[in-house]
Amino acid sequence: MTGKKFIFMAFALFIIFLIIVIIREPSSAQNSGKKYKGAVLQGRVLSPYGPVENARVRVAGEEGYALTDKQGRYVLQAAHPPAARLRVTAGKEGYFNNGQIGGRSGNVGDISLNPVFLNDRSDYRFISPVTCAQCHVKLSQYWDRSKMAHTTSNPKVLDMFYGTDAFNRPGIGPGYRLDNPKSNGNCVTCHAPSVAASSPWSQDLKTALQPNRAEWDGISCDYCHKIRKVISDKSKPSGMTAVLERQASTRGPSILVFGPYDDVVVPPMAATYNPVFNQGKFCSLCHSHYEKIGKSGNWDPGQVYSDSERKGFALKDNTFLPIQTTYQEWKQWQDQLSPDDPNKGKKCQDCHMSWRKEMLPYDNYVVEGMARNMWASYRSPKNIRPHHFDGGTETQLKTALSMEVEGEIEERRLKLNVFITNTNGGHWVPTGEPMRSVMLLLRVFDSNNKPLKMIKGSRLPEWAGVGKVEAGNYAGLPGAVFAKVLQDKEGNLHVPFWKATRIASDSRIRPKDTLTLTFEFAMDDPEDEPTAEAELIYRPVIIPWAKKKNWPVKDISITSSAW
Amino acid sequence: MVGGKQLVKYLQISLLLLLLLLWGSLNPAFAGMIKGTVKVKGLRSPANILVYLTKAPTFSSDLSGAKVVMDQNRLTFTPHVLPVLVGTTVQFPNNDKVDHNVFSLSRTKKFSLGSYKPGEIKTVLFDKPGIVELRCDVHAEMAAYILVMRNPYWARTDEKGRFQIPNSDELKNLGILGIEALPPGKYFLKTWHEKLKSKRTTVIVEKDGDIDLQLDLTRGTPSVLYK
Repeated sequence: MTGKKFIFMAFALFIIFLIIVIIREPSSAQNSGKKYKGAVLQGRVLSPYGPVENARVRVAGEEGYALTDKQGRYVLQAAHPPAARLRVTAGKEGYFNNGQIGGRSGNVGDISLNPVFLNDRSDYRFISPVTCAQCHVKLSQYWDRSKMAHTTSNPKVLDMFYGTDAFNRPGIGPGYRLDNPKSNGNCVTCHAPSVAASSPWSQDLKTALQPNRAEWDGISCDYCHKIRKVISDKSKPSGMTAVLERQASTRGPSILVFGPYDDVVVPPMAATYNPVFNQGKFCSLCHSHYEKIGKSGNWDPGQVYSDSERKGFALKDNTFLPIQTTYQEWKQWQDQLSPDDPNKGKKCQDCHMSWRKEMLPYDNYVVEGMARNMWASYRSPKNIRPHHFDGGTETQLKTALSMEVEGEIEERRLKLNVFITNTNGGHWVPTGEPMRSVMLLLRVFDSNNKPLKMIKGSRLPEWAGVGKVEAGNYAGLPGAVFAKVLQDKEGNLHVPFWKATRIASDSRIRPKDTLTLTFEFAMDDPEDEPTAEAELIYRPVIIPWAKKKNWPVKDISITSSAW
Repeated sequence: MVGGKQLVKYLQISLLLLLLLLWGSLNPAFAGMIKGTVKVKGLRSPANILVYLTKAPTFSSDLSGAKVVMDQNRLTFTPHVLPVLVGTTVQFPNNDKVDHNVFSLSRTKKFSLGSYKPGEIKTVLFDKPGIVELRCDVHAEMAAYILVMRNPYWARTDEKGRFQIPNSDELKNLGILGIEALPPGKYFLKTWHEKLKSKRTTVIVEKDGDIDLQLDLTRGTPSVLYK
């Protein structure tokens, strides 16, 4: 070989080497040193029936995932650098999650997904939350502090069912049993769903917790995580029902659970990915309540709700009463948003299962103790849903509504505009039980603290409380009230839902909507500088009921504003 | 005949006089500051109370270089109350570990930045005076205020409740330069704190110096910034 040829060949080899290096590691120069490029992993997801399409594949705990193609193949760009052992997982609705270990080469062995064979057993005994709390310590604590954990033993619910008061004295209405002595009603469907699922759904509330086989108070871990599907069922109060898959251990001692994770592949859980856990539809099971009134209904939905609201509540005629519509309120708000609206896609879980300051520092695991050491996946806090289910609490309400006051003096009149906005509620405020209300209280006085006389504007109704103002009685004061008011056939207002035959009014505040209320006050001195103070108060139970039942009036001041 | 050295001296003096004249025309009759102490009942600390003038002399300021930040970290907006001059652009970095969606439905400024990830920064121009209540769409505890001021004559009280207007140090941080004192005149001074009743008082700044005030505030609902 001549010298020239040798140099030419060496040069050509160098160029080829460079090209190979660039193709294999295009940014290795940039990433050399501190930052590594994520691993590229590839493989197949199979089931006993062949390749699985649209399975979600990820490195356990990572945010990014890939979907498999028709042949069950995937190419996954992981955030994790190549390592000797990467746990690659796959999940798809209807299959148990599974995984494989991927190595440095990037090739991953076939992941086989086994279908969940349907074998729901009504004699299944739900697992105690105490069992779950052994590993999911914090999640269980958050849940146990929530109202969700104690819906069966909620004293107000029991008082309303039996017609008792706070001192457990009988015969104090309203009470379902007082009006329907022989009926068990349908309360257990939502207030004790595991009982309703295991035995007849119409049951006495108190005995629901004392059957020969123990059930658990409230909406327990195992009940929710046994939900395979949420489907419509007009026989249920919400119009929806949960399709459960109650099976005893399927893989050794593993517990069958449905949940939002497609990457839980560890022995204690026989986990199966279920997208409904990340959808508002899941909450529709209970945060919706319709009462059939048949032809006895004499109400006109068109007088209370707009066309789009009636459509959102599915009110085709006047034979149903929408008692609680939290889910429908959220859904119709979401449905009317344009695709580029920043609020599009917000779900119940985003707010009611979000992080709270008291929980900080953020956690990266959903299990604690030995379970964490043995099986846990490191996760971004974005991928963890703390189970606090906060709602109707001070924390949640303080930012739910906002208010601004604008004033103008014209001769001897003070004109006030009060702007009330549903800032953070993804549903109408107040929502849920119609016994809840929000009140606007307006106090206007001159520079000598003498109240000014209102000459135009609304006043709080009698059911805002008659008596001393200091005791929370605001009837007749300048202001307004926002609530859903149920009426019976005799024309009585604020009746319990089982007696209602019409919705008399519904002034609750729609999501992101701003209401403008106008008031006018007479001024003695046009040169004076009066002050207007407005306060928004959340009242969980209207005062006439609270007085009858001896329940304490626990108002929450939402916000206040002054001009 | 005037010598060369003398000529230079005359020129120097003339230049100095000219500069003084120019200074005087740009900063007419600056007199002093409004200083004082705020005492509060019902609050642990008298710090972070905004004291400001509702009407003030005209001014001009270039805000393009200002770097004003409302941070988001550990589910908290920091600072909780941020006064800015109208026309200021505020940065909203997400320095947290979860996504946030900063928005406001206040009539002063309505905006929604949409959900954005840790490490990202978004900006908003505040072009109208008034109170802007900030919220995060998914974290109910997150709330803060941006107070969009008509003029740069404001101060926030320190931990002992002390303030001085103008506060050139704070204004420098907001990119507002050249405001050292107030011209003589009658001013309306007002306070704002989310838990305190606003107080309004008249202040007369004389030609010959600073004013010393004491303000006593009680818990209550604050008023709007400007009526």
